[in-house]
Amino acid sequence: MTFEPGDRVRVLPSKKPGHVRTPGYLKGKAGQIESLIGEFPNPEELAYGHAGLPERPLYKVGFRQADLWDDYEGPAEDYLYADIYEHWLEPGEGGLT
Amino acid sequence: MGGSPGGPIDRSQHEVEDWERLADAINSALGRRGLQTTDELRRSIESLENYRDLSYYERWVAATEKLLVEKGVLTTEEIDDRAAAIRRRWGGP
Amino acid sequence: MSGHHPHEDAGRTTSPYAARIRAIEALLLEKGVLTEPEVQDGISYLEARSPANGAKLVARAWLDEGFEDLLLSDAKSAARQLGIDPEHPAEFVVVKNTLDVHNLIVCTLCSCYPRAILGRPPDWYKSFDYRSRAVSEPRAVMREFGFELPEGVEVVVHDSTADVRYMVLPMRPSGTEDLGEDELAGLVTRDSLVGVDVPRS
Repeated sequence: MTFEPGDRVRVLPSKKPGHVRTPGYLKGKAGQIESLIGEFPNPEELAYGHAGLPERPLYKVGFRQADLWDDYEGPAEDYLYADIYEHWLEPGEGGLT
Repeated sequence: MGGSPGGPIDRSQHEVEDWERLADAINSALGRRGLQTTDELRRSIESLENYRDLSYYERWVAATEKLLVEKGVLTTEEIDDRAAAIRRRWGGP
Repeated sequence: MSGHHPHEDAGRTTSPYAARIRAIEALLLEKGVLTEPEVQDGISYLEARSPANGAKLVARAWLDEGFEDLLLSDAKSAARQLGIDPEHPAEFVVVKNTLDVHNLIVCTLCSCYPRAILGRPPDWYKSFDYRSRAVSEPRAVMREFGFELPEGVEVVVHDSTADVRYMVLPMRPSGTEDLGEDELAGLVTRDSLVGVDVPRS
């Protein structure tokens, strides 16, 4: 696995067409690895009838809501988690812990 | 979708109709048979041009049909013909 | 066929897609792609599941710390222990509300929901408005459901984007010390398991 819990990461801003499970609102955003969920076949390939192998690591990634939305109505501690595949992540500011 | 502007949430619940239950059932049965994955269904739904005009289960039916035709399991024509026959039996057009 | 509902036979169904899925069913059965029992099992699968399953899990967790630990670390095993069949390829994870943290579940990309436990999600959960706003304005969404968070509580949203289905373990309401397990389960609403609201008290 490339990432460990606590690592700062950035979601790739890629505009890859077709079926992806990385939501638009997270692309290019900075977050932090919460945990490794496991390894699963790549949904982007399963979606077109391929086997999606080799399996890819899936991480629970956390984001500060204040970093995601310009006009977020809520305290700075409010948080959001999404489950993101490793190939959609790159090391963020400060590199890996 | 996430973060797009949205309006007040309609909290009413429609009574699930039998055809909608059937849509669920056909999809889970196809999945269990290994004939279709959830990912394929999602991709098919996302590719529907009239996504925003259809209800939730209408999207499922349209997407399932698209996949079955894509995989050569059924043809659009035979679905058209059978659907027309069923509507006639129901007393419709 | 999997049973004709008089509603449909009279042509009073609300959608042209009703005839289409019936046609698909008929053709798949005739061609032997699917069998009648498989279709029936598919119908029974969701009908047999409901928020009552989630309420059972929560009530037991409220009464038994060991069960709560299991529910939070291996939710499928916890479900099996109570006779609930969690069988599904996706993972099932339960997240706990505390005095400091309130959890809210959404699937912005489609309508992922722990169907294997709770059955069919409500229409509002699948709506574009919920899917759009739950991530960017969770507090406003909860307010629409009549729920205002106390001061100082952090909101944590979980977007079910991949192979995990989430359910909230709400906090036990105060003043319920004398209630038995079934009564406690009766307080747990489906909306509190998604996180737009909290249990009855």
